[in-house]
Amino acid sequence: MKQIHAIIAVLLLTAAVIPAQAADLKVFACEPEWAALTKLLAGDHADINTATTAHQDPHHIQARPSLIARMRGADLAVCTGAGLEIGWLPMLQRQSGNPAVQNGKPGLFDAAMQVERLEVPEVSDRAMGDIHPEGNPHVQMDPRRIATIATVLTARLKQIDPAHAADYDARGADFGNRWQTAITRWDEMAKPLLGVRVVVHHKSWAYLFDWLGIEEAGQLEPKPGVPPSAGHLAELKAELTARPAKMVIYAAYQDNRAVDWLSKEAGIPAVELPFTVGGTAGANDLFGLYDDTLKRMLGALHADH
Amino acid sequence: MQITDLDFSIIGPAFVAGLLVLSTHVPLGRQVLVRGIIFIDLAIAQVAGVGVVLAANLGWDEHGAAAQLAAFVAALLGALLLWGVEKLWPDIQEALIGVLFVVAACIGILLLAHNPEGGEHLRDLLVGQILWADYQTLLIPGLLYGAIIIAWFVLPARNHPLVFYPLFAVMVTVSVQLVGVYLVFASLILPAIAARRRDGHDGLWLGYLLGAIGYGLGLLLSLVFDLPAGALIVCSLLVCVLPWMIAHRVPQSAKPGADPGFTTRLNHPLR
Repeated sequence: MKQIHAIIAVLLLTAAVIPAQAADLKVFACEPEWAALTKLLAGDHADINTATTAHQDPHHIQARPSLIARMRGADLAVCTGAGLEIGWLPMLQRQSGNPAVQNGKPGLFDAAMQVERLEVPEVSDRAMGDIHPEGNPHVQMDPRRIATIATVLTARLKQIDPAHAADYDARGADFGNRWQTAITRWDEMAKPLLGVRVVVHHKSWAYLFDWLGIEEAGQLEPKPGVPPSAGHLAELKAELTARPAKMVIYAAYQDNRAVDWLSKEAGIPAVELPFTVGGTAGANDLFGLYDDTLKRMLGALHADH
Repeated sequence: MQITDLDFSIIGPAFVAGLLVLSTHVPLGRQVLVRGIIFIDLAIAQVAGVGVVLAANLGWDEHGAAAQLAAFVAALLGALLLWGVEKLWPDIQEALIGVLFVVAACIGILLLAHNPEGGEHLRDLLVGQILWADYQTLLIPGLLYGAIIIAWFVLPARNHPLVFYPLFAVMVTVSVQLVGVYLVFASLILPAIAARRRDGHDGLWLGYLLGAIGYGLGLLLSLVFDLPAGALIVCSLLVCVLPWMIAHRVPQSAKPGADPGFTTRLNHPLR
């Protein structure tokens, strides 16, 4: 009983202390990778809430009251943009009635729009409906692009919270240095993956492949949400017989049935990758995301030899 | 989170949306229950979805008025089809409604094979989320519901299939986009179940009251526990209706023809 009293006392104390230390900047992060990046760049100045988890498809989320409440109070929303959150972010912005986070305002940060995107269609063609007009939005799998995004995000933090500008500069510079060192290390680590042929579940990995020079050997589900046709699977199998691939990869939030099927059919390992911070136990922060991704892919490569 | 910290304005528009949905779904739901065509709303919603995908495949703007028009036209055609079913095969009507649901869903998938963006919109059409409603977006559904209620209570031949099915089709097409198929189904069937032993206005008001309590309770719990609102409202509607379900169960002795029971029937060698 005494213990319970002690616990309650501690809880009450914590509750009393938290408002006193309230962060200056309320941040609404659409995906875990941007929450992680903002945390690294803003530290204790930001109170960060994340709308989706690594085990959720960021294209679709269920509406919860807290999402609206958090968007209502947000000074800054850090999202992927480029159409990824088109199914829910516009509704959330409208519902929140928060003028700070509307389109075109400094309070809305579109990470993907800060870097060069892949797969931008030359002409907007209805028949190519699965392609976002803004290009592929999944930029978080290229650390070089993350470096650019971090620089722009630091500038944005300074603009919204000028009182801590010097601190944001210092944190941004520190992150930039550590990140460059890490990229050098990852580049070295990933050398065996150069030119390796990899099958993907869905084309969410264009930026990872662009960075590491991996060759995409095929896609299990070429169009999101549409099950592959028997003809497509037969083609893929024939292609893999003629020119074998080393592995098939999929994101932690995706269903592994299709991947397991191909893994058995083609006799190649199926590799689950975190895709974002928190997707696997190893991907506990932005650095861990790449460490674990490379570790898992290299592991599959070595197991094959 | 403290109760006093809760921002009730978040669930305001959703509650109004719920009341609007109930205004039409309670009376038409009673008719659905009487006719024994429980899954008609799912079938109509899928057919409306096929209309939107077809429109997108024809190159129409899938977010604009053209898509809405396509949804309504498809839903009305579906309604006519169901009227034909009622006339031609009354004995297997519910089975054919089920067939319409699954075939429409599959035709949607096949049409989507070449237009996944239509797929995004098809999903929007079927899984509207009540929390995303705001007062502005409620205006047009409100007007349409108003027209449906007036038609329903004024037209003398409202039980005629050629009145009931088209009204129902328009109503469901509006509401699935607003609150999603689960809530549409629950709003139609659960209040109607509670009020099924009461005639006319009596039953109607009981349905409205229980529905409103169910929506209000579900939204409050959604706010307190921060859970998806639609799913929680379906559960709270059931809780509200449950006392009436228990009170109105058919006593064992009153069962017609001494029914041997479901399990016995399942285990019968000839079934």
